[in-house]
Amino acid sequence: MIRKSGWLIFLSLLGAIFLLVYVFAGSAIRFGMVYSLEKAAGAEVNIQRVSLGLFPLSLTISDLQITDAKAPEQNLVSFARANAELELWPALLGYYVISDLSVEQLAYGSERRRPGKVYRGELADAEDSGFDFASLFAIELPNADELLARANLTSVAKGEQLKQLAQSEQQQVRQLREQLPDRDRLRELEQQIKALTDGDIRDAADLAAKTDQLRRLKAELEQDKAKVEQVKTALLQSREQLQSAVRDFQQATQADWQQLQSYANLADGGLAGISQLLLGDLWTERLQQLYTVYQLVAPYLPDGSRLEEQPGPMELPGRILPLKQQPYPNFWVKNASISLLIGGGSAELSVQDITAQHHIIDAATRFVLDVQQLPMLQQFRLDGNFAIFDQLQSEVNWQLQGLQLAEQVFGEGSTRFGLEQALLNSRGGLSLNGTALSQQASVALQSSRFSSGDNRYVQQLTSLLNQQAEIPFQLRADGTVTRPNVRVSSPLDRIVADAVMGEAQARFAGFEQDLRSKFNAKLPDTAGDQQALLSLLDREQASTEQMSQQIESLLEAQLGDVRDRVRDRIRSRIGG
Amino acid sequence: MLTILARILKVLNSEASPWQIGWAVALGLCAGLLPFGLLTLVILLIACLFTVNLSTFLLVWGFSKALLWLLAGRLEQLGWSFGQQDWLLSLLSNSETLQLLHLHHSLTLGGFLLSLLILFPIAWGTTRLVLKYRHVLMPHLSKWKIVQLLKASKLAQLYQKMN
Repeated sequence: MIRKSGWLIFLSLLGAIFLLVYVFAGSAIRFGMVYSLEKAAGAEVNIQRVSLGLFPLSLTISDLQITDAKAPEQNLVSFARANAELELWPALLGYYVISDLSVEQLAYGSERRRPGKVYRGELADAEDSGFDFASLFAIELPNADELLARANLTSVAKGEQLKQLAQSEQQQVRQLREQLPDRDRLRELEQQIKALTDGDIRDAADLAAKTDQLRRLKAELEQDKAKVEQVKTALLQSREQLQSAVRDFQQATQADWQQLQSYANLADGGLAGISQLLLGDLWTERLQQLYTVYQLVAPYLPDGSRLEEQPGPMELPGRILPLKQQPYPNFWVKNASISLLIGGGSAELSVQDITAQHHIIDAATRFVLDVQQLPMLQQFRLDGNFAIFDQLQSEVNWQLQGLQLAEQVFGEGSTRFGLEQALLNSRGGLSLNGTALSQQASVALQSSRFSSGDNRYVQQLTSLLNQQAEIPFQLRADGTVTRPNVRVSSPLDRIVADAVMGEAQARFAGFEQDLRSKFNAKLPDTAGDQQALLSLLDREQASTEQMSQQIESLLEAQLGDVRDRVRDRIRSRIGG
Repeated sequence: MLTILARILKVLNSEASPWQIGWAVALGLCAGLLPFGLLTLVILLIACLFTVNLSTFLLVWGFSKALLWLLAGRLEQLGWSFGQQDWLLSLLSNSETLQLLHLHHSLTLGGFLLSLLILFPIAWGTTRLVLKYRHVLMPHLSKWKIVQLLKASKLAQLYQKMN
């Protein structure tokens, strides 16, 4: 039953498996990586060596180069060496805890020793979402159509609602009219009552019969009166509904106009917000790039939206059960340091506690990017943290100094003007809580020189800008990542406004007029339907009021007359 | 393919007891239905320590790996839904040994549950089949002319050579 050599066989088999893994794992991983990376990049991938270390358990990748399919003589990404040290005990429990991860000489777009092979002509590459300083000022002034397209106009929908309400209410009022008592019948009742009240009462029996007849007529009139009252109430409700819809429409129109004014910076007298015009849209766009990052982490959020499922490499499925006390996150890099080769210099990125399960380690992921002494940039430091608890929380601060801006052309048409040289400095912070964004930053242009064309307004503007030792801007944003509300202000605004007010005021007045007329054209014409319903309501209300008074007087008059005449007759018979 | 068939025939006609073959098939199947890890090594140790037929064990282990790829999705679902029970989650949270065996992984738990369910029925069923083959089918088949013809074939020669 028991095999005496059982342990020996087991250890031999175990040894064979271990040896097999140790000898071939490096090559197997290398082939696997090359295969999957080539499939993803559509171009040649070179990895010099992948080696496994035992004490400590580590994986080292040497000299990785991924050819850029669009430029085969360049690498998309390359690095000289990457090393990951895996902690043994968590790995035995099934958790990937990397104590140290380092990537050396990570570079984008480096020269290849020889051109790489390209396997796919068109690489379905993700859109570049990196912060592009060079395009920071590549902006266009807004026009009325753009602003109208950008603004989410609620008044259009409210106007449509009002129009539909007016039409349906007109229909209802016409139906209500049919519920009113017939005028001929009322006239007939009036005549009958008149005949009763004017006619002679012969004796007590006649009095009783006429009283009974009058009671019946009175009951009929009471029914008619109730109908009229119902119609009156319905008409009143209809009028209130119309008034409320008109009020909503007017408020929405006013709010939309204010929104458009704020977008176009017209509310404060035109040029007061020139900095918003210059940087507002651009900064909004840059902040919205955060949404790309947010989408990447969204699948890890408890109730976050998930990215579209991508067909991944063939692998066995598996999840870690939601243990009451999970000892380690599923994936956790304790320390990572990456040296980047960029723009003729180098940058150091250091990250701590990379994971998507921050609640287990009770700490946020922290990062610091330090860039110094590049030919085009004196210093750039970005530090911050992010954590995924109930939702994504992140704080980022940056400090940028001495970024040389390349020659740029701003605006288009008559407002074109050029930036010949400038140094950009910026300092700021950003916090993200779920999708809620809050950001403040100061940006300053130093030693700037602008050139202008023939336009007198632009000439005045550039001359004024050239006189400034520093052009400061304050940027603030709040709202959601998808729709940030960006405000840009600068002390320069007032100076520029005062200097060029005369010429610019006319331009902005024209712009406002254009915007107003286009906005009005967008609103549905509700006046006709609204007016038709109002006059219908007026007519019907007057008519029902008249009918109500008529019935009321009929009821009162006949009772008084009969009583008086009977009383008089009895008196005359008694002789008093 | 012929070699594998020859190996199966060799085992069936060998001196190995039907129970040794039955348990080898059952344990091999269990090892194959689990992702490779410490639990697989424990099964391998059991197979080595007890006198189960090792060739059969290794052969079935290899074959049932393909079965794991086929059933992986369903096994993972089974493990995930079974693993939501409070008592099991507490047990797994408090036991590093069970975590060492990767029973807190949905696929391993699913594979382990299925293995537990089929271990004894497969061991018993295979033993019965081997007994049936040896006592009923083998003597009956050997009388058939086609079998006698086949004995002169390449497969039979291979079988003889392996003996």
